[in-house]
Amino acid sequence: MFVVLRDLLRYNGEFLAGILMTGVVVAMALLSFVSPYPPLDQFVAPMDVPPSGAHWFGTTSRGQDLFWLLTYSIRNTLAFGLLVAILSRILSLSIGLLAGYRGGWVDRVLMSINDTFIVIPLFPILVLFYFVMRDNMSWVMLAVLTALLGWSYDARLIRSVALSLRHREFTQTAVFSGMRTHEILSREHLPFVLPIVFSTSLNNMNWSIGLEVTLAVLGFTDINRPSVGGMIYWANQHSAVVAGVWWWIAFPVGLVVMLFIGLYLLAISMNEYIDPRSRLERGGGRKE
Amino acid sequence: MRAYARYAFGRFLQFLLVVFIGINIAYIITHATPIDPVEHTVSVATAFGHTAPEAIESMRQSLRELYGLTGSPIEQYLNFWRRVLVADFGPSLSAFPSPVSTLIGRAIPWTVGLLGVATILTWIIGNLLGGLAGYYRRSRILKGFGIVAMALHPMPYYIAAILLLIVFGYLWPILPISGGSQMNVARGWSSEYILSVVRHSMLPLLSLLLVGLGGWFVGMRSLVSNVVTEDYVVYAELAGVSKRRILTAYVMRNAIAPQVTGLAISLGHVFSGALITERVFGYPGIGSLLVDGVHAGDYSLVLGVTTVSIVGVSLAVLVIDLIYPLIDPRVTVS
Amino acid sequence: MKSAARWLAAGVLAGSTFWGLIQPANAQGIPKDIPRNQLLILENPEGTVKNAAWFNIWAINANSQSNGLQQAALDTLWYIDPNSGIDGVWDNSLASEKPVYNANFTEMRVKLRRGIYWSDGVEFTSADVKFTVDMMVKTPGMRWSAVLANAVETVETPDAETVIFKLKRPNSRFHSLFTVRWNAIWIAPKHIFEKAEDPNKFAFEKPVSLSAYVLHSHDPDGKWYIWQRRSDWQRTSLARFGEPAPRYLAYVDPGPPDKRVIAQMNKELDVVHDIAPEGMFTLARQNPTSKAWFKGFPFGHPDPTLPSAIFNTQLDMFKNKDVRWALTLLVDIKAVSMASYRGAATISPIHVPPTGRHPETYHLAMQDWLADFEIDTGKRKIKPYDRTMARQIADSLRPSMGNQIPSDPKDIAKAFGTGWWKPDPQAATELLERAGFRKQGNQWLKPDGTPFVIRVVVEGDARPIMTRAGSMIAQSWRQFGIDARVDVAAGTLLTRRAAGDFDVILSWSVETWGGHQDLSFFMDSWHSAYVAPPGQSQPSRNWQRWSHPELDKIIEQIRGIDFDDPKGIELGKEFVKLATREMPVIPLMSYNVFTVADETYWTGFPTADNPYANPVPNWGNSRYMFVKIKPKQ
Repeated sequence: MFVVLRDLLRYNGEFLAGILMTGVVVAMALLSFVSPYPPLDQFVAPMDVPPSGAHWFGTTSRGQDLFWLLTYSIRNTLAFGLLVAILSRILSLSIGLLAGYRGGWVDRVLMSINDTFIVIPLFPILVLFYFVMRDNMSWVMLAVLTALLGWSYDARLIRSVALSLRHREFTQTAVFSGMRTHEILSREHLPFVLPIVFSTSLNNMNWSIGLEVTLAVLGFTDINRPSVGGMIYWANQHSAVVAGVWWWIAFPVGLVVMLFIGLYLLAISMNEYIDPRSRLERGGGRKE
Repeated sequence: MRAYARYAFGRFLQFLLVVFIGINIAYIITHATPIDPVEHTVSVATAFGHTAPEAIESMRQSLRELYGLTGSPIEQYLNFWRRVLVADFGPSLSAFPSPVSTLIGRAIPWTVGLLGVATILTWIIGNLLGGLAGYYRRSRILKGFGIVAMALHPMPYYIAAILLLIVFGYLWPILPISGGSQMNVARGWSSEYILSVVRHSMLPLLSLLLVGLGGWFVGMRSLVSNVVTEDYVVYAELAGVSKRRILTAYVMRNAIAPQVTGLAISLGHVFSGALITERVFGYPGIGSLLVDGVHAGDYSLVLGVTTVSIVGVSLAVLVIDLIYPLIDPRVTVS
Repeated sequence: MKSAARWLAAGVLAGSTFWGLIQPANAQGIPKDIPRNQLLILENPEGTVKNAAWFNIWAINANSQSNGLQQAALDTLWYIDPNSGIDGVWDNSLASEKPVYNANFTEMRVKLRRGIYWSDGVEFTSADVKFTVDMMVKTPGMRWSAVLANAVETVETPDAETVIFKLKRPNSRFHSLFTVRWNAIWIAPKHIFEKAEDPNKFAFEKPVSLSAYVLHSHDPDGKWYIWQRRSDWQRTSLARFGEPAPRYLAYVDPGPPDKRVIAQMNKELDVVHDIAPEGMFTLARQNPTSKAWFKGFPFGHPDPTLPSAIFNTQLDMFKNKDVRWALTLLVDIKAVSMASYRGAATISPIHVPPTGRHPETYHLAMQDWLADFEIDTGKRKIKPYDRTMARQIADSLRPSMGNQIPSDPKDIAKAFGTGWWKPDPQAATELLERAGFRKQGNQWLKPDGTPFVIRVVVEGDARPIMTRAGSMIAQSWRQFGIDARVDVAAGTLLTRRAAGDFDVILSWSVETWGGHQDLSFFMDSWHSAYVAPPGQSQPSRNWQRWSHPELDKIIEQIRGIDFDDPKGIELGKEFVKLATREMPVIPLMSYNVFTVADETYWTGFPTADNPYANPVPNWGNSRYMFVKIKPKQ
C-alpha cells in the first residue's frame, strides 16, 4: 500500500496535485475545530470588510468572518459528501456484486431497477422530497436520500466486474467448498472491485456535493447548518454580487471548485492506476 | 433480425418499467406534500385583500368541488393513470382552469430545444476534441484544453450558470440574462424572432456546454488512446493509410460506440442541469414551470411535469438504445 | 496536423458567430419597436405568470393581478392612498362622492360619475356595478363570491348613476370592499361577462379596460405585458388629473433581486418593486438617476404593514403573556434593524405600522403612556420602554453613512421611528421563571421539563428582509439558552401561516389603510369568533390565533360607528394599550419596500417630499404615477 502511494506520488503528477488540493480543503475543514467564532452567530465581526490581515477572506454582510465560517461550511459539506459516498457504496456494492454473481432473473430484476434509477431525473425528485419533508429534512436525511438515488451508475460498473469474476476458477472452487453467497461476495469478490469502489466513490462525492450545493443555494436545505451552498444562499440574500462583496461568493466557490478538481484528479489517477496499460506508459514501464 | 427484435422488445419492456416506477414515485411524493392546493389558493386569494373571515369556509367548499378533489385515494390514483394514458393531467390548480398539458406544451419546446442543442453540441465537441487529444497526444493546445475541460467538468451547473451571469450580464453586459426572447417580437419563423431566441439561449447553452464538455472529452481521449495501440491501427499506419483516414475510419469509429450509450445515460443528468440553468436565467422551460408549480402547491402541474420529464428522458434513452446495435455491430444483441 | 488546423478554423468561425450574436445588453431587455422615451418599464413582482392569457381577475385563481391589469386597466368606486394622495387621501374614482349609509348601516347608497367609457366604446353605468355583484353572488367560487353573498341582500339601480346596496346586517365598513388600498372588488364589464357561460372559466383574454390603458401585447410565456394608452383616455376617471404621460407601460418579470439591480443599471427597468438593502445602496452609489422614496438613508417606502414575530398563541408555551413578554425583552431591535435593513428600518414598539398618518396619531401621541408602561416580573416592576432607541440607531449609523443620516429629531422619527423595548435578559429570566420555566445548565426547560425549542419560520428568498430579521431574532433567543432555529418555508409560507404550522413566524398580521386612521382593516378579523381551533386553517389575518374579551368589545364598538368617526381613534388607542400589555405578536417595524425609480427617461415619481401616491408598482394605487410623471428630454 505504501509502495503504491509512493509510486503514485512520484510518477503521477495528477495524483500529487489531487492530494495537495484535497489536502488543503481537508485542512480547512479541520481548522473549524479551533475557530474562535461560533458557527451560527452573526454580527461578531465588522460587516463587509474586504480580505485583509485581520480577516483573511474578509467578512460577510452578516458580520461573520468568512475564513472561519468557511472552515465550518467545508467541514459540513465534506461530511455530507462522505456520508453519501459510504451509504451509496454499500448499496451499489451489494446490488452490483449480487447481480453479477447470481445472474439470471436476479440480475435482470436488479438491473431493471438499476436502469430506472439511472434514467430518472434526480433533481426534481430531490426538490419534491424537500417540500414533503420540510423541517424534518436534516442533512443526514438528505444524505440518505441522495445515496438512495446515487448508487445505480456504479452498481452497473461493479456488476460488470463481478460478471467476469463469476466464471473464474476461484469462484467455482469457493462454491464447491460450500461457501454461501454472501461469503463468496464479501471474501472472494469484494477485493477485486475495491479499487473501482475507491475511484467511483470520489466521483460520487463530487456528484453529491454538487447536488447539495445546488439545493442549498436555492434554499432547499437546512439553512441553520453552515455549508458551502448555504453561504452562497445567504450571500444572495444580501445581494453580495451587485453590492461588490465579491469575496463572499468567490472564496466558497473557489474552495469548493478546488475540492471538486482535487477529488476528480484523485479519481482519474486512481483509474489509470487500475488500468495497467496507461500506467505502463506513464511510469516508463516500471513495475512494482 | 430476430435477435434484434428480441433485443428491442426487451428494451421496450425496460422502458415501460422505468416509466411505471418513475411515475409512481412522483405520484406518491406529490400526494404526500403538505401543501393543500385548496388552502393554498385560499391563502393566496385572501393574503392581501379584505376578506370577511366567515366567507372562507364557503370559498373552501366550492374550491374543493371545482378542483375535483373529491373521492377516495384509490379512486384518485386510478383516475390518475387513466388520465396519464391519454396525456391529460387535468386543470392546473394554480393556473386554473388552464389544462396542465397546455402549460407543459408551451414550456416543452424551450427545454427540448435548449437541452437537445446542448446535449448534441457537448457530445460532438467533447468527443471530437477528446478524439483528437487521444490521437495527437503531443499537441499542446489540446493538452491545455484537456486541463480546462477537466477543471470545469465537476462544477455544479448552478455555479457555472451564476458565474456566466455575473460575467456576461453584469461585469461585461453583452448577452441577455433573462427570458427566452426579446419583448414585443412576434412569435413565428421570422429571422428576427429566431435570432432573438438564439441570443437569449446563449448563456444557458454556454453553461450547459461548459459543464458537460469535460466528461465526453476525457472519456473519448482515453478510449482513443486505447484504440490507437490496437494492432489494426498500427498496421494501417505501417501500410501508409493517411492519418486523417486512420483517425476517422479506424479510431473514432471504433471508439465512438461506448460514447453513444453514454449519451443515453447523460440525458437524465443534463436534464437536471437544464432545470437549474432555466431557473438562473429565467428561461421559460419546464424546469421553471416545475419549481413554480412546487412553490404554488400545484400538484397536478408538478405531477404533470415530472411525468412528462420521466417519459421524455426514458423515451430518448430507448431510442438511443435501439439505434446502438445498428451503429456498433460488435454488440451482441442476444 | 492539417486537420487540427481545420478544426481551429472551425473554432474561429464559431467564435465569430458568437461575437456576432452579442451586443450591449441595453438593447436586449427592452421591447422591440417601441420608442424608449414613450415607454415606462415596471417590475411585476408576481414573476412569470403561468396563466399568461388570463385576465379574469374576478375568478378565484385570477393568476396575475399586478401585470398592469389592476394598475392600468381596471377601476372601482373609491381609492385610499397610504400616503398623502394625489388630491387628498380619499379619491372618489368611479363614484362621484363618498358612500352614504342609512342610520343603522344596513344600506349603502353610491352616486356614480358619468361620461366614463369602457375601452370598446360602451358607457359605464350602474348596471355594471350591479352586474359585478350579482355575478359573484350567483357564481360561487369566484374571488369575492363568499364575501358578497354573506353581506349583500340586493343591489338596486334606480337610474344609471345610482347604486343602492341593501345589506344583510349592519356593516359600517361595507364600502371598504370597493375601496382600493392594494386592490378591491373591481368593476366588471357587463356587456362582456353576461355572454360568458361560466364566469369562473372565462379567460377575458382581450381585456376590455375601464382605465386609461388597454392591452397592447403580451408574452405567451407570461414574462411581460405591454399596455398602450387609450386614445380616448379622457373618458376615464384618471383623466381628472391630466393625460397619463407614458404612451406605453411594460410590466415585466426581471428575475431575482440581483438581476433587478443589474436591469436598472442597464436602463431596462424604470421602476424596481423591491430589492435587498445592499442592492439599494449599490443603486444609490452607482446609478445616480435611481431615486427611492427617501432621498437618502433609509430610502425605502414604508408600507402600511407591520412585519412582526408572530407567536402561535394556541401552543401551550406561548399561552402565557409573561413568556411572550420575556421573548420580547430578549429581542435587540437595533440588531434586528441592522440585520434586516442595515439600519434602514422604521421601528415600531406598538401594533400599528409607523407609516402614513399613524405616527402622529398613535406612536408620537402615546409616547408618555409608553414611557410609563410597567411590567411586573414577579420580583419587581420595570418600565421597559426606551424612547431613544431610534435615535440610537441613527447615531450608530452616522459614523459610516455621514450626513445622509438625519439629525433633526422630527426627521429621525419619520425615518427611523420612535422608541422600542429595551433588551433586559434579567427581567426575561424573572418572567420565564414566574411562568414555570427553568434553566438547566445552558438550556431553558419548559414547565413540563422538556427543552424550550422554538422554530422560527421565515419565507426565504422571496422576502430577504424578514428572513434576515428572523434569523437575528432566533440568534438572540439562542444566545439566551433557548433552542431556537430558523426554518425556510418558501412557497409553503402562506399555507403554514394559515394552518398554524409554526411556533413563531415572521410575517404581518397587522395591516392598515395607511392613509386613514381606521384600524378595522386588520382588526375586525381578530375577533374571537374567527379564531380557528388548532389544526384548522385560520382565516386571515389573526395568524397568532389570539383572542381576548376586551379586544372583542373594542371590535364590536368599531363596527357600530362611522368610518370617519373620531371615536375610532380612541378605540384604536384602546387596542394599542391592550396589545402592548398582552404582546400577542412582537411588533418590529414597518415593511419598508425598496421601490426604486430610475429617472433616465421619466421624472416626477412619488417620493417622501412629493408623496402623492404609493410608488410600489404592484398596488392599484400606483396608477396616479402615470399622470404625474413627465418624460425627461
